[in-house]
Amino acid sequence: MEYVAQQMMNALAFGAEYALIALGLAIVFSIMGLVNFAHGEVIAVGGYTMVAFAALALNNPFIVIGGAIAAAILMSLLLERVAFRPVRYADPTTGLLTAFGVSIILQNVFLLAVSPRPVAVTSLYFLDWPVQLLGVQVSSLQVFEAVTTVLVIVGLMLFLKRTTLGLAMRAASLDFEMVRMVGVRSNRVFAVAFMVSGLLAGLACIFIMARRGSVDPHLGFNPVLKAFVACVVGGFGSLPGAVLGGFLLGAIEVAMLVLLPQEYGGMKDAFVFGIIALVLVWRPDGILSPPTEKGDKI
Amino acid sequence: MILNPSQKRGLVGAAILAAVLITIGLVVTYFGSRYQLRLVYSAYVNLLVVLAMQVFMGNARLTNLSHSAFMGIGAYVAAICVTPVTVKSISLPDAPWGLNAFSLDPVSSALLAIAITAVLALIVGLFVVRLTGSGVTIFSLAVLVIVHSVFLYRTDIFKGNQAFFGIPQVFSLTSIVILSVFVVFIVRLFRESRWGIQLRACADDEVGAAAMGVNIRRLRLIAWVLSAILLAVAGIAYAYFLGTISARPFYFNHVFLTLAMLILGGMRTVTGAVLGTLLISFGLECVRWLETGPVLLGIDLPEVLGLSGIALGTVIVLTMALRPGGIMGDQEIEDLVLKKQE
Repeated sequence: MEYVAQQMMNALAFGAEYALIALGLAIVFSIMGLVNFAHGEVIAVGGYTMVAFAALALNNPFIVIGGAIAAAILMSLLLERVAFRPVRYADPTTGLLTAFGVSIILQNVFLLAVSPRPVAVTSLYFLDWPVQLLGVQVSSLQVFEAVTTVLVIVGLMLFLKRTTLGLAMRAASLDFEMVRMVGVRSNRVFAVAFMVSGLLAGLACIFIMARRGSVDPHLGFNPVLKAFVACVVGGFGSLPGAVLGGFLLGAIEVAMLVLLPQEYGGMKDAFVFGIIALVLVWRPDGILSPPTEKGDKI
Repeated sequence: MILNPSQKRGLVGAAILAAVLITIGLVVTYFGSRYQLRLVYSAYVNLLVVLAMQVFMGNARLTNLSHSAFMGIGAYVAAICVTPVTVKSISLPDAPWGLNAFSLDPVSSALLAIAITAVLALIVGLFVVRLTGSGVTIFSLAVLVIVHSVFLYRTDIFKGNQAFFGIPQVFSLTSIVILSVFVVFIVRLFRESRWGIQLRACADDEVGAAAMGVNIRRLRLIAWVLSAILLAVAGIAYAYFLGTISARPFYFNHVFLTLAMLILGGMRTVTGAVLGTLLISFGLECVRWLETGPVLLGIDLPEVLGLSGIALGTVIVLTMALRPGGIMGDQEIEDLVLKKQE
């Protein structure tokens, strides 16, 4: 029983991490149709910021965490301004390939400027200690992760439903031209979308770094790959879909870890992606995809 | 067979490209060093890959990132079949299903590799054609990861990141030049065929094409499988020349490299695919030379690892920002030479 509860907590924590990243991808996608492959590098920028702080002997956890999140937000805004603005109204493939290019450039810049090898970051170890929750031994990090994700979802919901800018963003995901016509500044909508995306990347970065304790140029790549899969399964561009997909992926991944025999451990990813493929056969556009009418827009 | 005017133009264009490819091959064969010969050979392998990508990405205009995986499948199947039993008993001592107890001649190995890749592509393709837009991209990414983790995990068959060695050298530069000429014609004729035109019509207006009675899913499946077959050919050519293969060259780095080639030239045309491959292959060699920190004009430049990656990424980003259609856009090479089609 305790084992089951522990594994469920694991699944929840994994899922929370994927959901955080997937939300960051989905909010950008819903507004500008951009599949942002460079999201992983935004996460890595947060990680390298921590390295920089460690080098400056700044070990105050609030400064480290705040700095990493701020760096991720700034990076996200910078990418929007420099790389994604020229392809803002281009077709999705163009945006996707641009994001790919940006991702390769940044990975190699990290490699060139810092090191191709992992750099240790120890300033976040304090986040992780064992706690007893309802008689089950779990890691505090997992609790933080789950709680943060819930707070983020609630916060995002309030922002999108209760504020004017949130309303503009929801409208923009349906019909951007109309939003511009009624006088909302398009630059501001895009900037906010990328800011939220960067904030979520920064939060994800904290948890990834606290768990791994090191950063390398490919830090964000695998988590973002998984988050993409979560987005597709949930329905690309749908925010509830991203959350659902993230938690589903976390659950499948933990289930595979528990159920697969030891010698098949290396095949975990293959099985996870295989199951996801089957979900897509059932719902090709994802589970919570908004109903689309093809040929609606001229 | 009666060809329509655009197919005739297609033949002219393919012939021009073929002439270019043959010329480069001849020049290198007679004047190139052994090292240059190897470089040009790998450029031609990448050319085959990019041409194969053009079949699906250029006509259906969906981004596929799993091409390196299919190339890897082709290469591995051919390599396992063609390698002599004596070598395999050393390199694959634990191979299941008697894989180390037989060997075939190069032609049947190649045919078997193509057949197996085609069947796998057909199975994957049945899923792919149900998806749209970004879904295809992410799904193909998942396929790439799955195939790669199988390569890595089944070390008893594929040897993972270690080298699978002892593949006899079957191909020379001449054979791959001939092969690439064939593939250029196939790809170009597919583009101008009924299927190619219908596919491009779907990409322009999916609803309109469907209303005219085009079976979109079937066409995409045809393009997907043809693309995979050509990728298998590229993989076989790779294995038959180098003599050793490993899982690493069939993963993300190769995906990015070939993608940059296709994008730079312009994925909509066969000319673009050829041009992009030649430009990037040549340009990348120059960048790699700079990367090692050479002495240039009396200045000793520092070693900069990662420069080639930055250059590739920059090429992709700049092409997308400045000329999303690539250098060639919608123009094939014969459009520059012949009179405009009425």
